[in-house]
Amino acid sequence: MNSAFVCTFGPLTFLCVVLASAVPYSTNAAPFDEATERYRLFMIADLDRALDGVRALRDRVKANDIPRAKQAWIDARIGWERSEVFTSGFIPELDDAIDSWPDAATGFHGLEVKLFGANSGDFGDETDMLILHLTDADERVRSMQLTPQGLLNGVTRLAYEIGDSKVDGGESRLSGTSLDDMRNNADGIELAYRTLFASPLEASDPKLAEQVRSDIDQLKALLKVQNLRGIDPYKLQKASEALVVALQAAGPKLGLETPSLEGTAK
Amino acid sequence: MTTRRRRSHVGRAAWVAALLLPALATPDANSFPLFGDQTILPSGTELNQDGISLPREQSRTEAVEGIRSYLVKLGDIAFNSPAILGGMARQAGISCNSCHINGTSNPKFFIPGLSTHSGTLDTTGPLFNPRADNGSLDPVRIPSLRGARYLAPYGIDGRFSSLRDFVRNVIVGEFSGPEPSPVILDAIVAYLQDIDFLNNRRLGPAGRLLTTDEAELRGQALFNKPFPHDPSLSCATCHLPSGAFVDHCQHDVGSGGLFKTPTLLNGNFNRPYFHDGRFDTYEQVVAHFNRVFSLSLSAQDQHDLVAYLNAVGDGERPYIINRIGVQLQEISDFVSVLDTAIQAHDVDIISLTVNTVDDELRELIEQFPDHRDPAVTGGQAERRRARSALKDLVLKLSRIELAASVGDFDEAAAELHSYRYETSIGVAAALRAAEPWSLFNPKIHDAHYNAMRQMLQTMSKH
Repeated sequence: MNSAFVCTFGPLTFLCVVLASAVPYSTNAAPFDEATERYRLFMIADLDRALDGVRALRDRVKANDIPRAKQAWIDARIGWERSEVFTSGFIPELDDAIDSWPDAATGFHGLEVKLFGANSGDFGDETDMLILHLTDADERVRSMQLTPQGLLNGVTRLAYEIGDSKVDGGESRLSGTSLDDMRNNADGIELAYRTLFASPLEASDPKLAEQVRSDIDQLKALLKVQNLRGIDPYKLQKASEALVVALQAAGPKLGLETPSLEGTAK
Repeated sequence: MTTRRRRSHVGRAAWVAALLLPALATPDANSFPLFGDQTILPSGTELNQDGISLPREQSRTEAVEGIRSYLVKLGDIAFNSPAILGGMARQAGISCNSCHINGTSNPKFFIPGLSTHSGTLDTTGPLFNPRADNGSLDPVRIPSLRGARYLAPYGIDGRFSSLRDFVRNVIVGEFSGPEPSPVILDAIVAYLQDIDFLNNRRLGPAGRLLTTDEAELRGQALFNKPFPHDPSLSCATCHLPSGAFVDHCQHDVGSGGLFKTPTLLNGNFNRPYFHDGRFDTYEQVVAHFNRVFSLSLSAQDQHDLVAYLNAVGDGERPYIINRIGVQLQEISDFVSVLDTAIQAHDVDIISLTVNTVDDELRELIEQFPDHRDPAVTGGQAERRRARSALKDLVLKLSRIELAASVGDFDEAAAELHSYRYETSIGVAAALRAAEPWSLFNPKIHDAHYNAMRQMLQTMSKH
């Protein structure tokens, strides 16, 4: 079965359509292998975006242009947050170095403290280190074996995390982009689910597939607010848990194990 | 006995602010910068959520080796649930327990704009119920609820003769919650009536000291001595030693109006003092009465009265160390309410219980930092297993609520059985295995928060 895969989420729409057209999805021939390779391209694009953002940040700090350096940091985070489906499970040691939190001395949040908290570009070699780690991540995503189980774990873990502690002022409270983090996480979940799991689940359990789609929509709808204060924490928590429960039910239907919330892909 | 800290949706914002406050000396001074999105409660809010020790709750039932009733447990759950409140409190994850930790007070509680001293809150301010905003910053001391059943009338000015009316007013009037159901009100009242004073072995029948300490005994005599300018009055006239040191009346003691007599029992742990929390020490309190009532107390007299107050205000084991076993016991206690609620097909109680336990479990998960926290090294596999086990419990509870919401109570009961099975076979062991690398370990706790302070110092250097 060929499917014209169309993404409905913002900036990647064009890329999704192009990629989907170029590599039609087939459930008959090793579906996860094909889908995984398509998903890999998204991950590469997201990590490239994160890397470009941090390089731009470094250049703007050198030019002592703090406002534009802040914008570069925000741009870099978009790609990074969307790729969290992959990063925490497949490259946990780089995840630690790139996205240490909450007491961050290095990585994105280390830069955030100085850039947004102190309005300073006095980074030492921290930007270079972040570029080094992101480059490593970018190289590894190109060649690393991406197992469907690991990716389903990543999707499920991220769905849980959205309902967890990020509404309390957030992971990126100094930059004021915590809500964006959550939205990008949700986009990352949707992208991974639709690219990797939607079609096979539709084939094996249409009702459950509909449930997952509906839960993702619900999660995204709850994040369509002006600021963090507009989020209903209980509704978000419940929506997140409902999605996790549905994704856990989906595991065996996809021929995979029930996804774990803490395990790594290794 | 129950013990807990409350996770709140302001959580990290609050502790970041709390860490900043000591360095800035005054609670009001907070320059923690915010950009774009902001926290739900004002920056600088201190909820006192991260201590290793907690005030001990003395259950009357458990003191006589009984078992807390369904109603008391349900009241405890409601007391810990932000969902019974409304507006900003619900949004921020504030519950009754946020102000009254384990049914006591919260001497560090501070919300900029609503508190003038730590341990006070303006319940008629603009934040929690704008409709009740009186346009004046007039915070009141957050009282301990120990021994509440002996302490009518209720409210700082004693406006409520009934504990039930008082509770209802807090929920609806002060925190803009929906009208509570009769069973929830009954339950909270039952829970509050179960909280006893801490035992004080220094006090005997009729509130007499059992001490041989001379200063304390001199203080006792002064406490009962008629005032020089009005022999009908003494300290003991209002703080009746044989009656929990209260007279159930309101008095004007020169603090700006009529306020009810507070108990002195366990008072050592109920700072600050006076209706608006203006005094932090017994010395200040005694000096105030000396001045207002022209008591002509010498320095020695004042010292003796303070010694007496310290003896009367004492209590056994006022604090406990927050440990895994205690937390799991409390969660188990809460979950037991589901047995009755599922059998009764009571969806509202199931939902309230699941949501409250969910919060408790998520709070417990935060005690086991994840791999991204650089302040905690080692035990990564153990921490991962602990977090995973607790998250599984969160999801089992979620399945219970989902099943009940569609009327499938057999499935809800089966999930509850599965929850208990999982708890009994592995969760406690997984948590204990990870304990050395958790925030239950004082060294890890300190390392974690010292790293936070380091981050803030990095900010302040620039």
